[in-house]
Amino acid sequence: MAETKKWAMVIDLDRCTGCQACVVACQAENNIPINEEKDFLSRRAKQWIRIDRVWEGTWPNVKARFIPVLCQHCENAPCEPVCPVYATYHNSQGLNVQVYNRCVGTRYCANNCPYQVRFFNFHDPEWPDTFWNQLNPDVTVRSRGIMEKCTFCIQRIRRAERTIEGRDGGKVNDQSLKAGNYMPACVNACPTNTLTFGDINDPNSDVSRRARDPRHYKLLDHIGTSPSVIYLKKVDPNAPEEEAH
Amino acid sequence: MKISRRNFLRLASFSTLGAVACNFFDEREFISQSPVQLPEDLVTGRDNWYATLCRQCSEAEGLVVRIMEGRAKKVQGNPQYPTNLGGHSIRCEAGLQNLYHPDRISGPLLRQGARGTGLYSPISWDQALDLLRGHLQAQTDRSRVLTVTGPLRGSMAHLTSAFTDAYGARHMAFQPMEDAAYDQVMQDVLGQQTSPTFDFKNANYVLSFGADFLGTWKAPVQFSKGYGEFRQGLGRRNRGTLVQVDSWFSLTAANADTWVPINPGMEGMLALSIAQVIISEGLAPQDRINQLTGGQGSSALDAYAPNIIAQQLGVPPLHGTEPHEVIREMARGFARSGSRSIAIGGSGASAHTNGAFNLAAIFALNFLVGSVGAEGGVVLNPPAPVPELAKTISAASTGEWHRTVADISNGRTGVVMLRGVNPVNDLPGDIGLQQTLNRDDIFVATFSSFMDETAEMADLILPERTPMEDWGDDVPSPGPGFEVIGMQQPVVNPLPGMNPMGFADILLQLSREIGLDGATPLNMPTYHHLLQDQARKIQALERGSVQNANFNSFWNSLLQQGGWWDRDATADSDPSMPNLAEIASRASQPIITGRTDGNTFNLIPFQTVSLADGSGANLPWLQSSSDPLTTVAWTTWVEISTLVADAIGLKEGDFVRVEGANGRSFVAQIYHHPAVPPNVIGIPVGQGHTASLRYSKGRGENPLHLLGLPLEEQTQSLAWAGTRVRIVPTGESSPIPKFEGIVPAFVPNQEEAIVKVTRG
Repeated sequence: MAETKKWAMVIDLDRCTGCQACVVACQAENNIPINEEKDFLSRRAKQWIRIDRVWEGTWPNVKARFIPVLCQHCENAPCEPVCPVYATYHNSQGLNVQVYNRCVGTRYCANNCPYQVRFFNFHDPEWPDTFWNQLNPDVTVRSRGIMEKCTFCIQRIRRAERTIEGRDGGKVNDQSLKAGNYMPACVNACPTNTLTFGDINDPNSDVSRRARDPRHYKLLDHIGTSPSVIYLKKVDPNAPEEEAH
Repeated sequence: MKISRRNFLRLASFSTLGAVACNFFDEREFISQSPVQLPEDLVTGRDNWYATLCRQCSEAEGLVVRIMEGRAKKVQGNPQYPTNLGGHSIRCEAGLQNLYHPDRISGPLLRQGARGTGLYSPISWDQALDLLRGHLQAQTDRSRVLTVTGPLRGSMAHLTSAFTDAYGARHMAFQPMEDAAYDQVMQDVLGQQTSPTFDFKNANYVLSFGADFLGTWKAPVQFSKGYGEFRQGLGRRNRGTLVQVDSWFSLTAANADTWVPINPGMEGMLALSIAQVIISEGLAPQDRINQLTGGQGSSALDAYAPNIIAQQLGVPPLHGTEPHEVIREMARGFARSGSRSIAIGGSGASAHTNGAFNLAAIFALNFLVGSVGAEGGVVLNPPAPVPELAKTISAASTGEWHRTVADISNGRTGVVMLRGVNPVNDLPGDIGLQQTLNRDDIFVATFSSFMDETAEMADLILPERTPMEDWGDDVPSPGPGFEVIGMQQPVVNPLPGMNPMGFADILLQLSREIGLDGATPLNMPTYHHLLQDQARKIQALERGSVQNANFNSFWNSLLQQGGWWDRDATADSDPSMPNLAEIASRASQPIITGRTDGNTFNLIPFQTVSLADGSGANLPWLQSSSDPLTTVAWTTWVEISTLVADAIGLKEGDFVRVEGANGRSFVAQIYHHPAVPPNVIGIPVGQGHTASLRYSKGRGENPLHLLGLPLEEQTQSLAWAGTRVRIVPTGESSPIPKFEGIVPAFVPNQEEAIVKVTRG
């Protein structure tokens, strides 16, 4: 019943410490090239999942807020209709998928993404020869001229389908994903359990349960993209009335 | 039928209506997607996941490593391992780059040119070990041999100390920014030889003094696991409250409900002030107060009443509340949660001349509320169940290093063997280790996989297997509150052309050749045999997570699970109450040394979550990982208050000369920081490497070289937060490498805040 699944993620901002474990786990899993100093200076560093830090207040009553931002896998994804070659499309499990060998690099999708989570390869990726040993064989290394972004680690979902359903005859759900190292790399790494991933069509899944938390909201919800990433509000007992929502 | 325009439209209408009405097509056909079913990604091959340990930092998390076709592809936290419970840090992840680093030394090297010039020629392992053995045997006074390692635990501590004892060598452990004051206070106040842990998961109120426990202090992954539950754990009645007292805006301060800025080194005084409020307001049981104060009650601490001491502490008004009232609120909140309150101190609080006093006063607060040994409080750890695994070798204090380097300088050392440490770069420059080693009458051998600053001073370089290629075990410190023994196994073989050896196996081979192999553990043929010998002792306990009468089955289960633990085997010690009046009698002000003229600031050198102490600075994932608060990567920056920088006329990216307490200086870029207190600047450690390693050479500066040699009075640990520096603009400027601004920032407005906040 793979067609009935809808993969989603819940991000609890009250748990997130901004430690960056998810960012590097994503780089390792998805063969993201090393962001060298020149990439930062030329504003071309890539982080499929990034942690935005927002300052609030003034010293000494200053706060730093953290929010992990990744592809929101929108149901009404603004990036999809603008692709002239169907390189980005919505699959039957709710994923916004990027097909690298179709992409011709128009960058229309990145321009249209309100979350700024798409990254363009201005150059071919470079690693010293020995680092090629650690690349993930399940993930394509993207070449120059290709757009890339978070896939919810689709290679892990596909591997789980083959292994859990194909070989072991089980059911792919958030529990079996967790048990078999098939969760997205960022979810696996997170030391505070900020991130929860699973099938939101399953009312008993962890992700469904957490999505029902009264603190839930969606990023830029008012523009109607209908994201598959659900945030839970940060809790701050000292927040001024006008800031608390 | 002729296809006229009318017929075409008619047919089109019928076919569309028919398709919809009959629901003939599968639902997926109506989903907007490519007409071709595309392979979204290719999945090939079979992978295996092996359990082992991370050795990138002292936390030693349990890991599982994904192996495909003999290559390590990914590390993840071992969900069963009791300390990190599946989580891991970015330093664990970067262990892969340690394994496959292009600059790894492939075989033994012998120095050819002058020390420090980097001229070496390859030699065989037989030649290398003959040479080392020859130098060891040539020493008539064996105490002239100095062995230097990092802090050791488990079988490696047992073996190394057995070797140095049998040979008669001296053994010291080195750790950058060591925390000897903390170890001492754990013994003095808690009566513990083992480091305690903290039950954040069940705590209601955490009062942290300087300890960056969510960033780099002690065991941040273990603590973060508890922190997540502390905030939003399933079934919790109330969200936990975190108050961070800190002279600098650390990652933990950033996550606190309330950050209380304080003058550097005054944390102990504040702890006494909090104790005074709890006692004078009767917020703790009277018998406990009498025990802690020797019957003196509040009079023992009256000099620390908030209204007397608040101004001296440098606590500013917060959210419109006066400083003395801020202190009272902290005390009431802490006491209200009773035994589910935790007071911890570390990092900046201990790195002062009065660091041991600060920590003693802070940890004594736990006795006041009865949280020592309680659920949601300070959790004591039992020693390892097998005596041979209970050995720990802690880092020597910086004062001790100063004396040792003086000894080397005076010619009282003939051979120095260093393993996995880089003291030439990481000791304060004023100790002068590099100059001391630069002499001909000393033989220096390093067990190092990389040509770091210490290796460049060596006569002989012996490349060690990386942790993913070698055996090992560990007794985590801090443990999770019960007995745990972690197992490390080789998950891959070295790459073709790489020819490293395990440090332990080298010690065992040297023991045989020198004739030290009379008894266990030095009579073991290999380290693998030694670990199996220890495992038999664990098996004989017949309890815990792995039990099997058959040793091979027991050993395999041990490796598959990543270790052994017994949740019922907790600490049984009941520490005696410290005397608050006695601690108060030792109260002292911090001595801040350094510049006082011009634009001077207290310097806070800090560790970042990526580079930490700098031991992984050659790993590009760590270099390129943005600092969580500033988002800067690849360089050293100077965090300065935005208000102060504006007043001086400094913009972000401007270069300033930072002039240290000892007259040394370097140039670094300014980062405008809205949360840095006006009287301090923060500079990250970890950069400033000069050795020929790509990704780290020539990047940034090392602020530890600006400190001089400030030492904690009682323990001689490095008082790294206790100096003052001056900054002088150079007039130059350039963009600073940071992630902030790479993607356009969201523009919050009244309709749509990005980080939404609720009061509860």
